[in-house]
Amino acid sequence: MRTDSKPRRVWQWGDVRQRKVGTWAYALNRITGLGLVLYLYIHLGVLSMLVGGPAAWDPFIKVVRSPLFYTLDVILIAGWLIHGLNGLRVTLTGIGLALGAQKALFVGLMVVAAIGLIIMAFMVFRS
Amino acid sequence: MSIQVSLKAFRYQAGSKPRFERYQVTVPDDANVIDVIEAVWSQHDRTLMFRHACHHASCGTCAVRLNGYEKLPCIVSVKEALAGREEMVIEPLRNFPLVGDLVVEVVSFFQKQAASGMVITREAEPSLDGQPYQRSEVFAEDGTLDDRPYNRFENCIECGICISACPTMSATDKFFGPAGLAAIHRAIQKTDDHRQKSWLLALADGEQGVWRCHSAFECTEACPQNVNPAEAIMALRRELIANKVKKLMRG
Amino acid sequence: MSAPHVIVIGAGSTGAATAHDLALRGLRVTVLERGEIANCTTGRNHCLLHSGGRYCVKDQESAIECIDENMILRRIMPDALELNDGLFVALTEEDLAFKEKFIAGCEKCHIPYREIPVKRALELEPFLNPKILAAVQVPDGVFEPFRFCLAFLATARKNGAVVRTYTEVTELARSGQSITGVKIRDHRTGKMEVIGADMVVNATGPWAEKIAAMGGVDVPVSPTAGVMVTVNKRLNNMVVNRLDKPSDGDIVVPQRMTSIIGTTSWIILDPDQIEIPKDHIERMIQKGREMLPAIQYAVTRGVGAAARPLIRKANADEREVSRTFECFDHKHDGVEGFVTISGGKTTTARGMAEKVTDVVCAKLGHQAECHTRTTPLLSYRLFYN
Repeated sequence: MRTDSKPRRVWQWGDVRQRKVGTWAYALNRITGLGLVLYLYIHLGVLSMLVGGPAAWDPFIKVVRSPLFYTLDVILIAGWLIHGLNGLRVTLTGIGLALGAQKALFVGLMVVAAIGLIIMAFMVFRS
Repeated sequence: MSIQVSLKAFRYQAGSKPRFERYQVTVPDDANVIDVIEAVWSQHDRTLMFRHACHHASCGTCAVRLNGYEKLPCIVSVKEALAGREEMVIEPLRNFPLVGDLVVEVVSFFQKQAASGMVITREAEPSLDGQPYQRSEVFAEDGTLDDRPYNRFENCIECGICISACPTMSATDKFFGPAGLAAIHRAIQKTDDHRQKSWLLALADGEQGVWRCHSAFECTEACPQNVNPAEAIMALRRELIANKVKKLMRG
Repeated sequence: MSAPHVIVIGAGSTGAATAHDLALRGLRVTVLERGEIANCTTGRNHCLLHSGGRYCVKDQESAIECIDENMILRRIMPDALELNDGLFVALTEEDLAFKEKFIAGCEKCHIPYREIPVKRALELEPFLNPKILAAVQVPDGVFEPFRFCLAFLATARKNGAVVRTYTEVTELARSGQSITGVKIRDHRTGKMEVIGADMVVNATGPWAEKIAAMGGVDVPVSPTAGVMVTVNKRLNNMVVNRLDKPSDGDIVVPQRMTSIIGTTSWIILDPDQIEIPKDHIERMIQKGREMLPAIQYAVTRGVGAAARPLIRKANADEREVSRTFECFDHKHDGVEGFVTISGGKTTTARGMAEKVTDVVCAKLGHQAECHTRTTPLLSYRLFYN
């Protein structure tokens, strides 16, 4: 459990064991951020299926309406809900508001994210 | 009244593998955690390395991770440390190079503190624990009476707990860190010299300055001395942005 | 030809100030400390920058040392002290009767003082016992022991001193009737080493006897423990002292956001194992409450004890023993190359260092004047350079 070796740095920021709410916020923000960047590439990749013209439409729909894809969509929604709502907390505290309530704010916003996620996941799978 | 305490302590010597060792000591039931560490040292193992000096949270040397979380063991009671547990676990702070056992290397930390140049004393508040008071003249060196304000040590005891708690410090030791940025903020507040203020703001604005904070607020959460480094970082950011906006407006 | 090499054992206030003086006079210095800087007696002290008022009746030599050194320290480490003066307050008729002696003592020892009306004292200190009968203001101050030592050592390091912490002296190296160096165990690596020196200075406070014994000599230093109780609020701006001859629990020193009540006194055998008597803790709180009743509403933050190095004089109880310091040149015990500096208090550390450095320089034939009275110290942070 040395604290001075370089490789540990890569993931130690995400080590939420025995940390408080703030590290969860930090780690989630960073992971969802990276995830959203990755999503951009995936999105472009999926859309590029349509380069093939009208003939590519049906195969495209088959992919984007598959259960796997819907699951990925739900993960994406979770990603931007968490990142966006925590982003609200980061903005507010950055302005100097709600600094004292930042923990409660995080918990509250994540509850909103969870509720939003359930509703939107339902909407995705129902369609 | 005495109490039997089980301590699991992190042991490490340069060149060998780190390990945990268990010790049993008996201490008074109103003892604090530092007394347990000292008892282990004095009764069981004189090679145990640990930092401590004052026993009342003013030197900042004894900071460790107690049961996984950053604390000053000199002001945490044994009862609190053992609440709902069989043994207390003590490890060194995170994000500092290890010297040995519970001792971390604080050279780079103090260099950052020195960079801000924050003087360790400040003017005292006009009230004591909520009660306002009147100020007296105080003696000067030559024995005459001087009408100057009372002074006080700054809250920050440079214990490094905020550094250990900060996830950005986990990611990189180049980050100036919550303690250093809070010191910059205090130094700016305490000076009237415009050039000094600009210089300090530029230091905070650097590549490893305030913008590397990503709002975990673990620093303020863990700080035992109400320094609130997170608030200082946000205040610095606002000042930096305000300055940039003013510059833009002026054209 | 390089300057003589001096080893200083102990990095408390005595060792730190001594290292500074030796290095400033151009000697090569190595400081050896078995733990962290100031981790023993100095770290746990009451943090009181004495005006000397406490000693001005019964121990005037000590009182004069205190006020002189107090003023010097204000000049050489101005940024690391709380300088809000102190009050000596009378609570009983006996205390009131003591006031005359106190004032006469202050005058004799050139300690600046002024008596202030009770009503004014209560305006200055809202938590002071409203029943006080008199108050005298003196130039007490507050320091922080760890940073106090760091400031001296930072300056010493700049002048070439080497400071090794977690390095424990296990034996003194001898050649015939001379001490030629020390054997050490470096706890960082576990390795043993021998370091040679032209002079070894024993600055280990209450461990002075233990180290002296390594050299086959004796010093009359009694480890005398004292308890300090820190509460979680700052209830006074100025140091509050009892206007009486020195006794237990008669000082409350504020620092940052706490107040520290102290202290007691009992002789112990082993400064590494101090058992704090429970009744001492209760007595501290009770005596503190006499001067600042609000202590009863404060929570105890920590209780610590450290051993003072008191120099034994025949037929004296520990409260009567002088708090002055003494330098022992062990050539008088038949051992060359070895001196002990002991007694004293952190307030007089610089003065103690001057004395032992004068002795060391004389013994080594090293001509150099002392400049520590006027040389400003570096910022304590620069120790970590």
